[in-house]
Formats: sequence, structure tokens, C-alpha cells
Amino acid sequence: MKKILVAENLSYKINDTKLFQNLSFSLNEGAAIHILGSNGSGKTSLLKIISGLTKQTKGEIEKNYNKDICFIGHKNALKQYLTVEDNLSLLEIEAHGNLKSFLQLLGLDKLLDVMVANLSYGQQKKLALLRLFLNNSDLLVLDEPCVGLDKKSQDILCTFLSDELNAKKALIFSSHISLDISSEVLQLDKA
Amino acid sequence: MIKKFIHQFASPKTYLFQVDRAYPYIFYTSLSIYLVALFWGLFLTSEDFVQGNSYRIIYLHVPASFISQSLYLAMAFASAIFLIWKVKLSAYLVRSIAPIGAITTFIALVSGAIWGIPTWGTWWAWDARIISTLILFIMYLGLISLHDSFTDNEKADKFLAILVIVGSVNIPIIKMSVEWWSTLHQTASITVTEKPAIDPSMLYPLFGSIIGFTGIVVCLVILSSKLQILKREKNKSWVKDYV
Amino acid sequence: MKLLKFELLKLRKKSRGWLGPILVFVLIMTAFPLTVEILNKDIDQSFLSVLWIATLLVMMLATEDIFLEDFNDGTLEQMAIKHNSLSGVITIKIFVYWLLIGLPISLLGALYGFGITSSADLAIQLIPILMITTYIFLNVFSFGNALSLTKGSILGILITMPLVLPLLVVLGKVVIVINLGMNFLGFLFLLLGILSIIILVLPIIISFVIKAHLE
Repeated sequence: MKKILVAENLSYKINDTKLFQNLSFSLNEGAAIHILGSNGSGKTSLLKIISGLTKQTKGEIEKNYNKDICFIGHKNALKQYLTVEDNLSLLEIEAHGNLKSFLQLLGLDKLLDVMVANLSYGQQKKLALLRLFLNNSDLLVLDEPCVGLDKKSQDILCTFLSDELNAKKALIFSSHISLDISSEVLQLDKA
Repeated sequence: MIKKFIHQFASPKTYLFQVDRAYPYIFYTSLSIYLVALFWGLFLTSEDFVQGNSYRIIYLHVPASFISQSLYLAMAFASAIFLIWKVKLSAYLVRSIAPIGAITTFIALVSGAIWGIPTWGTWWAWDARIISTLILFIMYLGLISLHDSFTDNEKADKFLAILVIVGSVNIPIIKMSVEWWSTLHQTASITVTEKPAIDPSMLYPLFGSIIGFTGIVVCLVILSSKLQILKREKNKSWVKDYV
Repeated sequence: MKLLKFELLKLRKKSRGWLGPILVFVLIMTAFPLTVEILNKDIDQSFLSVLWIATLLVMMLATEDIFLEDFNDGTLEQMAIKHNSLSGVITIKIFVYWLLIGLPISLLGALYGFGITSSADLAIQLIPILMITTYIFLNVFSFGNALSLTKGSILGILITMPLVLPLLVVLGKVVIVINLGMNFLGFLFLLLGILSIIILVLPIIISFVIKAHLE
């Protein structure tokens, strides 16, 4: 089994506030890690470290994949003053073969000419998640992907993620809502 | 190896204790040098042929302008060390030098203006060197406000260091500007390469005043850096013991 | 190439971002003769000074949210993850700003030059000078706005204005160069030299700053 991520003794602190210390875990292909922890325990920081945005204070992280990471954070990376269609082209997924079916599935297919600013929060979140659904990555990093999603969309998300795991992709995510996928739990709070 | 060396000797704790020990010596030596130089310059030398007695402000003006630029260089140096080797102490130093730099630049500007009234007949001239000193002053203030506007000190340190280094491009331009623009301002009185253009009897007290003033400013920097360290490391146990 | 297309699309669809600064430039350049007595012949001489200051101001305004918007909505985050060279992205971004704001202003500036001084030579010589100058300004102010990203543009202006003053000194010599017909090409090469150093160095520094913001 190929190891996509190996983290050894990761520590991180912001301005002398220690968030987590000596964290070790590894992520195989086809496996998922669910990061749990209270507010301020460093879930987002850990995901940012994995995606390379932040650097850990101590420890090593070994990455073993070829393509880009698919990172979905709190921010949607959508342009409010552009239409849905223009945003799709900015996300570089406008020509994807499965785009149409996903748009229909999420109920966004009638909204192509609408400005993103006029969409509801949940709709914007779904649009941002399209980047995940049409991804081209080995490693999926999701930070609270379920916030603002209705039950139906959550189910779509879970089904999709299960399929991705079967397709040998690796997944690491944080979520307060439990997702219906088999995953290891990584508890961040101090014991 | 250099990295190890720097990290060993540049812990804020070691610095603080070393500096505490050296502080009184530096302070009293430089204060007495400055006072002697000032006494010599003010009372024991003759009047300038052209400028009369007014030139005597030189013992404040020249040291202040010299220091104001040197402090910026020191900041640039410390910033480079911080960015390359991530030495926290040098980040503290950069932040603590900035206000002192602003003060000395201000002294240079004001003393220059006072000197300008009898000599040039005007307290302000649109002269390259005066303007660049004013810009230096604004740059110091800009550096301080940049650092203070970030609540995340680590980010603030990084940005401050970057800006200091980019801004240090301005220092050689300050020097060059005198040659660029032919103006009222006399060219530098003392240069390393050429024979000084002023009388030796004025030169020695001038050197003395520069050395003494530098020492006093170093003491100010020490005080300000102590404050900075204690503020930033206030959660460390040794700081609690120290205070 | 794709990036260039995207950045163009983003800026083009946001008219207050590019049309706004151009209109402010037009307003300043139109308003300035009104402040001069109509029979005063000195307007020719003050024209260039006003032109430089107006360019400076407008470039400041133009770069105000060059990174802020992308930072707030998470686009920069995605770019930093996806692209190996963030400085390349930044170079393209600044180039697009120059294309949509700097270039039109260069042409407009030359037009005003002809209109106010009625010297065709001056107008033609102003075009390349303005093209280079606007590009330099955009780079430097982008740097300032990257530093003060979430802290408002006043701070950005305060810290970068001193950096461009030497350039203003150089621009001050344009009057001599053009009026006395002195070595115009040499002057242009001086500006080009400054520009090429800035283009090479600043995007790298800016990308460093932005990465620190994303942490």
C-alpha cells in the first residue's frame, strides 16, 4: 500500500500558543483521516500545513504524490461579481466531462448566468465544492466541507468521497458533522 | 556552523544579561566623551571665519544625521539576519531601533533647520539631503506603524524586515543625491577618503561628539530593546524571574 | 497564458477596478488647468509636474485591492497551492493591471500633453516614458499593498511612497531632457534599467509577503 502522507512529530504554535505537539500519523492511498478537535485545537492549521500554506514549527512531513492537492478551505475562491459560468472557467473546470451531471445533481444547472453574489450561501458552497467533484488530484484536503450544505448535498458529498476512496485517492478532512465514510479518527485535543 | 553560533549567543536571555552588565560602562563613558567634546567644541575653539558661532550646532547636527543613517543600516543588517537565520533577537532589535532612529532623524532635521537660519537665511530648503532626511524620518514612522498594525507579532516581524531591506535601497540614494542635485547644502564635511575640509581644531571635538553621541544612542537602543524583549517574552519563566 | 486570460477576465469585469482609476486621472488632468490663471503661460511648465503626481496617485488607487480581493475570497490560497511560482502569478497580475490601466493612462497623458502644450514632440516622447513609469509605479505600489494587505491602503501608501520618490527625482529631469533635446534615448534606457530591476526583484519579494499572509 502506497503511503501518500507520512507525518512525524509535527508541532505547531502561533505566537507561543502551542496548538498540537508531536503529532504522528500516516495516510495510505484509499484511506481517510477525520480530524477531530474542539475550536482552536489547530484543525485548520494542520490542514494548511499539509497543503503547504503554513510551515510546521517542528517535525517532518513527507509527501508522496504527483499531482496538485485539492484543497477546499473556509474561503470559497469564488468571484462575487462574476457569473457562475465565468467562475467555472476561472476554476478551470468548465470543460470537464462530468460538469453537466454534477451541476444537475447539485441543482446549479439553471443558475449559470446568475452572479455569484446573488446565490445563497449554500449554493455558493456547492459551487465551490464542484472543484472537489471535478478534481484531478491524489490527495483531497477538506476543511469543514459540510458547513452550509443541506442533507441531500451532504449525501452527495459522502457518496462521492466513498467513490474517490475506492479509486485509491487519499482524503484528510475536518468536520463537526460526522460523514458517512469509513475513516480513521485523529484527535487533536490534548489528552 | 554560523547558524549554531548565532543561535547560541543570540538568545534574548543571554543578550539581556550581557547588556545589563555592559550598560553602565557604555553609558557613562560615552556621556563623558560627549560632554568633553561638547565643552571643547563650544568653549575652546575659535569662531568660524564665515559662519561665526552658529556652526557650533554641528556637534549635535552631524552626530545625529550620522546616527540616523547608521541606525537604518543596523536595522537592515539585523533584518537580513532575521530573515536568513530566523533569529528572534534580531527581529526584536529591528523593532526597537526604529523609534530611536525616528528620534535621531528628527533631531538631525530640527538642528539642521536651526543651523540653516543664520547660515543660509532659511530654515528649510528644497535640497536633496534635507528631503532625503525627511523621507528617512517618514520611513521610520512608516516602519513603526507597519509593525504596530499587525496583531500577529511573527508576521509583523517578517514584514518589517522585508520593508527595511527594500527601503535600504534609499540609503545610498541619500548619499548620491547630494551629487545629483547642486544645491545650497555643503557636501559632507568629513569623508573617509579625502582630507577633511574643516580645521583640525574643530575636527577632534566633532569626532568626539560623534563617538559620544553614538554611545548614548546605543544605550537608548539597549533600553528600547530590553523593553521589547520583556514585552514579547513576557510568558517565559526567566522573564518572570528577571522582573 | 491561461492565467493571463483569467486575470484579464477578472479585472475587465470589474469596471470600478480599471475604469475608475482612468477616470480619476482624466478628472485630475482636466481640473488642473482650471486652477491656473487662463492667461498664465507657465501652464506648460507645471503640466509635467502635475502629470507625474497624477500618475502616481492614480497608480496608488489602482493597486488598492490588487491582492485584497483575491486574498479575502481565497483565490490566492488556491493559487499558492496550485502554482509552483507565485511570483509568476503576481507578475502576470501586475502586467494585466498595466495593460488595462497603465497603458490607457500613458496614451491619455500624451494626449493631454499635446492638448496643453501643443507640442507634438513632447506628446510622442511622453508615451514611452509614461508606459515605463506606470509599470514601475504599479509594481512598487503592489508591493506596498501586499505588505499592508488587510490593513488598508493608507498604510501601503505611507510605506511605499518614500520608495518611489527617487523615481520622481528622475522624472523631474524629463523637462530638461525634452526641452533641451538632450539624450532622450539614454534617459529612456535609464528608466528601462530601473524597470527591469524592479520587474525581476519585486514579484519575488511580493510572493514572499503574500505567502506570509496566507499562513
